[in-house]
Amino acid sequence: MSLSTFATSRRTVLRAAGAGAVALGLAGCKSAVDEKRDQAAPAGSGGAPKRGGTLQIGSISDLTPALLFTQNSLTALHRLVFNTLTGYDPKTLQPQPQLATSWQVAPDGTSVTFQLREGVKFHSGRPFTADDVVWAIQNLKDPKRSAQLRATAAVVSDVSVKSPTELTLRLAHPVSNLFDLFEFMVIADKESVEDAVAGKRIVGTGPFALKSWTPGAGLSFTRNPDYFVPDRPYFDGVEVRIIPQADALLVALRSKQVQLAIGLSGRDVQPVKDDGQFSIRQFDHGSGAVYVGANVSVKPLDDKRVRQAVSFAVNRDRILQQALGGYGLASSTPWPKSSPAYSDATAKRYAYDPARAKALLAEAGAGELSLPLAHLALPSYTVAAQMVQFDLQQVGVKTTLEPLDAAKFQTQLINQTMPALWVGGHGFAQVHPSTLAVSAYPFNEAKNTSKFSDPQYTEIVQKAWNQADADSAAAKAAYQDLSEVLLDRQFVIDLVVLANLYASTSNLQGVTQNLYADTVLDDAYLA
Amino acid sequence: MTGYLLRRLPSAFGVLLLASFAIFLVLRAVPGDPAETLAGSDPSPAAVDAIRHDLGLDRPLLAQYASWLGHAVRGDFGRSYLIGGSVSDLLGQRIGNTVELTLGALVFSVTLGLVLGVLGATVKNRFGQTLLSAFNSVSLVVPGYVTGFVFVFLFAVTWQVLPAGGHESILADPQIGFQYVLMPALVLALPVSAILSRYVKDGIEQALSEDYARTAKSLGVPPRRLLWRHALPNALPPVLTALGMQIGVLLGGAVVIEAVFAWPGLGTLAEQAVTRRDYPVVQALLLFLVAVFVVVQLLTDIAYALLDPRVRLG
Repeated sequence: MSLSTFATSRRTVLRAAGAGAVALGLAGCKSAVDEKRDQAAPAGSGGAPKRGGTLQIGSISDLTPALLFTQNSLTALHRLVFNTLTGYDPKTLQPQPQLATSWQVAPDGTSVTFQLREGVKFHSGRPFTADDVVWAIQNLKDPKRSAQLRATAAVVSDVSVKSPTELTLRLAHPVSNLFDLFEFMVIADKESVEDAVAGKRIVGTGPFALKSWTPGAGLSFTRNPDYFVPDRPYFDGVEVRIIPQADALLVALRSKQVQLAIGLSGRDVQPVKDDGQFSIRQFDHGSGAVYVGANVSVKPLDDKRVRQAVSFAVNRDRILQQALGGYGLASSTPWPKSSPAYSDATAKRYAYDPARAKALLAEAGAGELSLPLAHLALPSYTVAAQMVQFDLQQVGVKTTLEPLDAAKFQTQLINQTMPALWVGGHGFAQVHPSTLAVSAYPFNEAKNTSKFSDPQYTEIVQKAWNQADADSAAAKAAYQDLSEVLLDRQFVIDLVVLANLYASTSNLQGVTQNLYADTVLDDAYLA
Repeated sequence: MTGYLLRRLPSAFGVLLLASFAIFLVLRAVPGDPAETLAGSDPSPAAVDAIRHDLGLDRPLLAQYASWLGHAVRGDFGRSYLIGGSVSDLLGQRIGNTVELTLGALVFSVTLGLVLGVLGATVKNRFGQTLLSAFNSVSLVVPGYVTGFVFVFLFAVTWQVLPAGGHESILADPQIGFQYVLMPALVLALPVSAILSRYVKDGIEQALSEDYARTAKSLGVPPRRLLWRHALPNALPPVLTALGMQIGVLLGGAVVIEAVFAWPGLGTLAEQAVTRRDYPVVQALLLFLVAVFVVVQLLTDIAYALLDPRVRLG
């Protein structure tokens, strides 16, 4: 039998196409794309900030409630829901009022008295008082909260509450990074804290209240009508969508499904870098740094000349350009430019110099070396590690790459079981320099991954930390000493200070972040 | 039959028990533990120890296992270390999302498979045949994540008619939910539809070459009626068998496609739980998979026993 009898006619095809078009038309009568755009709504042209609408954010990271009181990977939560006592001006590192309106630090630096803002309410309606500050400090002292600034919170030895809006903190000894703590410490509602760390209900005083969280999908926030800053925020709400794949997040931005993408690296944003519809904001106060760690218990890395040779051998500029898309600062020190410890001279101390590296290796009697090189198995770190491997090979140091997933990397970091060399990232250089030395584990003077111990380093760290006035000449000299000792010992070999990037549609205005990279939307709007 | 069931059930439970122990041990043999990931970046060892104690991970392994098993048999799989909520609720929600995507893909696979199969058997001109064959081949060989990004680029970036990703429940708002599920389900369905279409095409061609079809044709049965009423129904049984085998492929593929479309299903949950050592979630997920296999095996055995008395008496 011939199949020609069943041949599909042109009419049949047209009918089918017509039916398909009708079906699609029916399905499209309410568009999911337009729905999101309409929510973002009140776009206008230039002029005064526009009020209303919902900001759509795409974030690589989801909320981890157990990490609520740490510097968390979901940065689009803390400064939406919470406030802190004070907030730094990122350029000057001078504290500005938030929930505290004024403060007096004792001349010897062993106490600080705060006057608190009146009339502030939590999203639950409960008034904010000095007791909430007392609780917040106690909360950070609890090791299971894993707050990176616990060492500084632990210095608060006594608290006296004079009135609901005034309290005095007494310190066991003066510390130069006291206001780093007050920038870090969110004031959460103590009555719902167990619900908060279980992810059920997160209550603060901030510009937005958390309405709902669907793990793996997103978070929804509504405007806090009682926010203490008059007429803020501008947005009626914020929706955060969790998009764990960088490519998918970039596509969501390009399709304008989100107006702000958080968590993209310098390499990820290359496709929209020169597109006028989008803008890339770079926050120069840093987002941690990429470094090579050296285990000083492995010979010949016990000799600082070998570690210095590694530092001279690595081409930091190439890593910045090729592994990190050109966003950041190639530097031998951990400090961003806004840090009081930063100087151009120290940043360029280990400028790329393979000849000098070879000379130092020869001087140390380290011939042909073969060392393991572990690295975080994330794209940027993998590329950076490969570049370090290539550079080291040029000076006669052969390395074997050992990729580690984040959990295993963390285990080896904490348990001091890293091999001879590793490439990873550290934080906490963006605030006062002593915070790095007392809060970032790779630098900890008492116990660190490198197994590095040196009484002089300990003395310098303690001196930089125990300063009554963080801005005094003595404090600044101590920060320089800290920078110099790190540069000389090189148990942590800093490569690039990372820039925090926000990729957004170009009409999004007023988005900033605090020094712990938390998104601040108080003044944000769509122009 | 009851006797047979009573004989088979203990071994099914035995498998589940052994699997639960193996899953528990293997997870703990993997380097890295939740306390370390929960301690965040730059943690102090004291913080890690405090969290480990808080989670009960400093207790002897057997004690941890016994406590977990004790709760698990009562349907309580504990709380997710990372997410905080009950593992049962979390799994229930994510399974629902993955099933929604898989069902969507199933509908598309069957529809596309039938349409392409019928077209394949009826379109006679060479250009049409080449076009269909090329479409099927491309659908089969191009991986889902590639098709996914191409679709997203075309329909979400260039023309912006569909959302690039995300999830809105189709039950809560069918119109909007459909637009979210459309692209991921279609991407997931394409290779399966290509396979099904070949079964449909071959089946129709086979049926039309049978004697009864020739007789019907000679008796004046209209060709359209012959196709839809006789040839197609006869072509379907092998298609159904193939479809059954492809459901597993769809479920497995959903895990990859979820990542491309930021679809909050089991795949993204498993990836997150494994990389961050969220033991309770990984344990429950793996045990769930084992349970599915055990139940399917049990049902197969029962079906055999019903069909063949020698099995249940043996």
